[in-house]
Amino acid sequence: MPIAKFIARRLLYGVATLLIISVIVFLLTQLLGDPARAILGREAQVEATLAGKREELGLNRPAINQYFGWLWDLLRGDPGTSYVNGVEIWSFMGERVVNSLFLVILAAAVSIPVSLAIGAYAALKRDKSFDTASSYTSLIFAAMPEFVVGTFLVLLFSVKVWHLFDAVSNVRGDTRPWNDLGAMVLPVATLVLVVMPYVARATRASVIEVLESDYVEMARLKGLPPRTVLWRHALPNALGPTFQVIALSLAYLFGGVVVVEKLFNYPGIGSALVEAIPAHNVPVVQFIAMFIAAVYVACNLFADVGTILVTPRLRTKLT
Amino acid sequence: MADEGSTPIPNGRFSRRSLIVGGAALGLAAGVGGSTRTGATGRTTAKAAARRPRTPTTGGTLRVGVVGGTNDIIDGQYIVAKPDQARLVAGWETLVTYDDDFNVSYDEGLAESVEATAADLYVIRLREGIEFHDGKTLGADDLVYSLNRLIDPDLGLAPPLQIVLESGGITKLDERTVQVQLNQPAVTFMDTIAGYAFCVVPDGYTREGDQIGTGPFKLTSFTPGTESVHERHPNYWKEGKPHLDGVQIIDFADATALVNALLAGQVDCIADVPFAQVSTVQSNSGFQILESQAGSFLPITMAVDQAPFDDVRVRQAFRLIVDRDEMVERVLSGYGRVANDLYSPFDACYASDLPQRVQDIEQAMALLEEAGQAGLEIDLFAPNDTAGLAEMASVFADQAKAAGVTVNVQVLGSEYWGEEYTKRTFATSFWGTRPYLNQVAAGNLRDAVYPETHWPPDGSDFAELYTQALATVDTEERCAIVHEMQEEEYNEGGNIIAFFNSLLDAYHESVQGLVGRPNVLNLDHFGRGFANIWLDT
Repeated sequence: MPIAKFIARRLLYGVATLLIISVIVFLLTQLLGDPARAILGREAQVEATLAGKREELGLNRPAINQYFGWLWDLLRGDPGTSYVNGVEIWSFMGERVVNSLFLVILAAAVSIPVSLAIGAYAALKRDKSFDTASSYTSLIFAAMPEFVVGTFLVLLFSVKVWHLFDAVSNVRGDTRPWNDLGAMVLPVATLVLVVMPYVARATRASVIEVLESDYVEMARLKGLPPRTVLWRHALPNALGPTFQVIALSLAYLFGGVVVVEKLFNYPGIGSALVEAIPAHNVPVVQFIAMFIAAVYVACNLFADVGTILVTPRLRTKLT
Repeated sequence: MADEGSTPIPNGRFSRRSLIVGGAALGLAAGVGGSTRTGATGRTTAKAAARRPRTPTTGGTLRVGVVGGTNDIIDGQYIVAKPDQARLVAGWETLVTYDDDFNVSYDEGLAESVEATAADLYVIRLREGIEFHDGKTLGADDLVYSLNRLIDPDLGLAPPLQIVLESGGITKLDERTVQVQLNQPAVTFMDTIAGYAFCVVPDGYTREGDQIGTGPFKLTSFTPGTESVHERHPNYWKEGKPHLDGVQIIDFADATALVNALLAGQVDCIADVPFAQVSTVQSNSGFQILESQAGSFLPITMAVDQAPFDDVRVRQAFRLIVDRDEMVERVLSGYGRVANDLYSPFDACYASDLPQRVQDIEQAMALLEEAGQAGLEIDLFAPNDTAGLAEMASVFADQAKAAGVTVNVQVLGSEYWGEEYTKRTFATSFWGTRPYLNQVAAGNLRDAVYPETHWPPDGSDFAELYTQALATVDTEERCAIVHEMQEEEYNEGGNIIAFFNSLLDAYHESVQGLVGRPNVLNLDHFGRGFANIWLDT
């Protein structure tokens, strides 16, 4: 099975990528500065206190030992404990990971079908009013960062003009995101508006490319009905590139949650990252960075495999 | 350490131990001698004061929003960040408190009396029949344990108390009485234990164990960085309090989200409104801003033993460079008061008679000329993790240009508080509200916890005066000494103190019982453990 071999090879690449990333993440978190000093603040003045904190955090070990110790623990599924309060990372990050995934999946579930439809329709109606309108609108949203879109939505729908939705998340205690859908509207809408332009524009471009190709023209010349041309001949070939776009947009969504979670006080990995970096909470930063990296790698892997599966000529090239 | 005040300005970051020691002004212990007065009257600024008093209604849960994170802790005697303060005052109480004029008061605390037989000997008598959340009655054993826990060097909860008190000095006299023998005279003892973090915990209390106190609200759940839930203490000792059924303290990662939550009705009150958002809050009907004056300040520090500041003329010139009104406007958006290079404005001995220093570029230039420092160029250091400091440094740099002084502002990250902190020639810092002598011990002696200005200079009798004041029980006599100390700092000190910054909070109109008055903690000392607050339905 060539496809199985292909997947295995890509998996290996993925693992290798993650290993390289782990080195980079480790080095970068070293550059954050001395966590003991950051945690102690003014108290770091007292030499004994500082030395004690370093010892407690295991910072006196050589960097290479720290790296392999961390990596080994990570591989065993133990990301360590928070520097700040000594709590196991899993015990409070597990829920946050689920929260972030829920937010991203909800945003993807809304944005991907809608933007695929808009992109494909715009391609069909190329240079017509719908195409022009969607093109300009998407340009505007693509140009705006998440916090601008989010703040705008909050002002409009929550605190200034209408009081329709909650301005911040209520997820805490026994309340999980799926019990708090009213407060999910604005964060999801923000992510959707921010990511939709990319997917829609990429879909439009790839559909146009296919529609202009010789074989579609051939199909048309043969007198096939436009509907058949589109669904049977054009779309399957436009799917490959679209897979890549979807994967990229998922990855992009994961980046976007950092800002959106902070804005909506949503307890996910993004808001945890924003907090952990200035606090020099190195194990938490490392965990989140590795998690997001793993999601990126996984998205790309799925996209590549998906592209192969929907593109017969690529599939046959595999040996 | 010991910045009990709260952030310098909304959103500031606290250093670890920053907000610990309570205390805001010198009201003398009644037992220690003489009447006590401070100059803090009539400074109420908030609109709340003007509102009609209403009869409290009972019931309901108050939702409080505070900027916090996963480093939050709950401890009956210690705090790290702002939400910890709210949680601490909800669950635990001190022996004595401060009244509105920052005099030590016996009306609200757990002590029936504190008798000072000498400046180093105190007898604390507890009120009768106060119940902890678990039904146990408060007794002398709890107080002995609490004091010992505060001075435990391994925990490091209260270094200032650690200096004057050893475990052997704490003796149980009977079931409600404890004697405290200090190892040196310290009239500051009463002020120290009036600090909000000097609470009484039950015998055997640990941070990891059950969170039991005597406060108006008992903790039911706590998730760091997310929220804590507190329910009414049914057997609370104060008649008719608390009014609320419960309190929910909710963490926010970001001040913008905090304000949005208030405006969307998802929280009832918030601590620390960013200056830029005040008008947003005010433009929405149904919301109030609560401004409380505080004694917290952001000094520019000059090391008095390092060039060019080893010349007092240069120090005085730099103090004359400052346009204090502009500082208040530009650094605090107007939410503060002009200061006179002196700290502890609520202290009974505060030297309010010293003339207000105002900008005088001409004299500043003359002094610099005289000192041979005309056209001076110098680095001014500021951290980026404490709101207001970098802004203050750049405003100072602007103002210094007029005097021909070039100030290069060096903004650093949290490494600012590293080895070089307290060694720098010209820098910035932040402090909370503290009585004068407590502040001297914290930052203005050679062996202070953070000797930022390396004060006092060689040949000064400041340190001797301090020791003398600590042992002087008579208020008038002590104030005379303290006045002398302040005069020396006013004329030669290393601090440039341009302003005292206010605490700025906001709440929905349905929240009743908040009073805008001089305070150490946000939201009117968090409604004194939320016992004063009720919801108007």
